[in-house]
Amino acid sequence: MKTFKLEITTPEHVVYRDEATSVTLPTVNGEITVLANHLPVVTVLTAGELVIRKDGTESPYAVSGGFAKVDGQKLSILADTAERFDEIDEQRAEEARQRVEQLRQSVAADDTQYAQLAGKIERELARLHVVRKHKHRGHVGITQEGVRRE
Amino acid sequence: MPSQTREIRRRIRSITNTRKVTKAMEMVASAKMRRAVQAVLASRAYAAQAWDLVLDLAARTDPELHPLLRPASFPGEPVSKNVGVVVISSNRGLVGGFNTQLVLKARQHLDKYVYQATKLGKIILYGKKARSLVTRYRYDGVADFAKPDLLTGVEEVRPMAKEVIQGFTKRRYERVLIAYTDFVSTLVQRPRVRQLLPLQRDVELGAAGPAVISRPSARSREYLFEPNADVVLEALLPRLVELQLYQAVLESNASEHAARMVAMRNASDAAADLIDDLTLTYNQARQAAITQDLSEISASRAALEA
Repeated sequence: MKTFKLEITTPEHVVYRDEATSVTLPTVNGEITVLANHLPVVTVLTAGELVIRKDGTESPYAVSGGFAKVDGQKLSILADTAERFDEIDEQRAEEARQRVEQLRQSVAADDTQYAQLAGKIERELARLHVVRKHKHRGHVGITQEGVRRE
Repeated sequence: MPSQTREIRRRIRSITNTRKVTKAMEMVASAKMRRAVQAVLASRAYAAQAWDLVLDLAARTDPELHPLLRPASFPGEPVSKNVGVVVISSNRGLVGGFNTQLVLKARQHLDKYVYQATKLGKIILYGKKARSLVTRYRYDGVADFAKPDLLTGVEEVRPMAKEVIQGFTKRRYERVLIAYTDFVSTLVQRPRVRQLLPLQRDVELGAAGPAVISRPSARSREYLFEPNADVVLEALLPRLVELQLYQAVLESNASEHAARMVAMRNASDAAADLIDDLTLTYNQARQAAITQDLSEISASRAALEA
């Protein structure tokens, strides 16, 4: 299949800079999947799961908002955070989510604080979701036919 | 000559103390520099890509869609009169030529914007050490934002970004420049003035004449916006402008600590040289005094024996 250039950058580091055959993005309007020769589009990302497919393997990432731009040859993603599923520690994500949830109940008054917390919760939920979904598969990719490969 | 040697001893002691201070400051600065450099290098790729995205959008999108996309004055319009300059300096001195060079660079750019002998630059200060632009060189200062010693995140520059964005959309500024110091390496920091708004691709100002407006052809492949242009641009443009300011502050911080470290190392080295010099002079003076004492004693003894 035809590939295109993909670059995922966060304020901390460059997460991914390589070719990909298709990428599924969580946008504010729902998921979209980008293939090669996609028409130029700019979109806003939301917290959720981003899947990169290349050579028949998929690698899921948890992202928490950002922007994506397709310009014909290249997909650039500016994410606030992006982690590969195997980098996420499930227990810590769960704990973090519970902590923020508690915080939210205690300081629900202030609007900006509330918005910040809501963002945090969304992010932790996205991480949990990604890690739970892919946990049983361990550290190896899955081919599109569902065959486990080393 | 005990009085002379005492004087030299006092100077040696004082310089030794100075050297201890500069040495300590050098080490503090180098520790801070390491952290600041890490921060600036980490987000450089992101900032560069974000800037690319913004410029690309600005060139290929209808400027009517968002006030921040307002282009530079068209050839027919009068020369832009008000230039806002964000000057990012340090809060503390003892950094060698760091702030002086920045102020000089900013002035060189500002002096291009003069209208009927009136200075047109409006200065937005970030950091205390560039205040001379307002107090001494009489540019019009509009805001002096407190610069925190420790930069925790993008939120720190948000008030400043708000001022810049509002000022630009309400046409208080026709143009917004940032004057900051680019971190090249520990030994090289370069003061730079960059155009932040309007969004256009002339990175280093100066040589670039009136920007050529080639919109029609550039817009042949306009972007599609998901869900729609308003939502995307409103989420994207202010954030990315803010991010550019943040990156400039990070660059300046890294440069400041590097400059301070080098300045303090030079001071420590100079103090060490001076101490060596004075020690030599001290030993010579002491030896001369002893020789003189001896010759006086033997002279008086010779006189007694005669």
